[in-house]
Amino acid sequence: MTFEATAFYILAVILIWAALKVVTSGNVTHAVFALGLAFVAVAGLFLLAGADFLAAAQVLIYVGAVTTMIVFAIMLSNIGEMDGDDARSTAWRRLGEGLLSPRLGPAPVITAAAFAVFLYTVYSQASWTLAGRAERLAPTTASIGEELFTTFVVPFEIASVVLLVALVGAIVLTQKEERS
Amino acid sequence: MITLTHYLVVAAILFALGLYGALMRTNAIRILMSIELMLNAVNLNLVAFSRYITPDTARGQIFTIFVLTVAASEAAVGLAIILQLARRWTEIDVRKFNRLKW
Repeated sequence: MTFEATAFYILAVILIWAALKVVTSGNVTHAVFALGLAFVAVAGLFLLAGADFLAAAQVLIYVGAVTTMIVFAIMLSNIGEMDGDDARSTAWRRLGEGLLSPRLGPAPVITAAAFAVFLYTVYSQASWTLAGRAERLAPTTASIGEELFTTFVVPFEIASVVLLVALVGAIVLTQKEERS
Repeated sequence: MITLTHYLVVAAILFALGLYGALMRTNAIRILMSIELMLNAVNLNLVAFSRYITPDTARGQIFTIFVLTVAASEAAVGLAIILQLARRWTEIDVRKFNRLKW
């Protein structure tokens, strides 16, 4: 196997294992760290696909900001202790007996499986014109920046407004209520 | 030799796992994490298409940047809501939040 194939399979196994842990693990804190691992594995896959800028952004934003934010939220409140249905049995027993959701019965597993089958059908029907083995674009930072500030400048500005609104909204939402 | 199909299969598995988690868990934080997993699967698809179908432009990667932005905003607002729920009702089980107003 080539280096690319070896790295891809290792990263894919790590990614799917970590995603499984996020969904099935009994402890929210463990799930958050598994989520961080999954994000790192996705960043590795981005690197393999030649998206170097995105790999760096993925590590900075997802691992550095989102995961840390969830960890802080768990530490600042007692969310971790009030896990409800989670801390009951081990992951694999949960996966077996927990295929039935406490809310929706067997609907989640049926939906997920149906969606996977749907994706398989779409992918097997679709026809793409693959570009031949073109050399990678990397480093991509310059071309991403160029396109972002020329062709995609309007979506870019809208995205910054969305970010601003979200952050102001988060601050307003977490303020302590004043007694009136 | 890694082809487009490899990436698509991994992303489809990731998305199905995230969908399953978001539907089946009752802990609001866990649902948020499952949604992040699904967004990552979408990003993986976009990057793979960008690599194998239009390798000479970075357009697919720019779409990924927008998804990243929305995911970050979603995490910030979602966590703020969850913190406020936990502060008010000392509970983040979504089964309990079936009313808009008390």
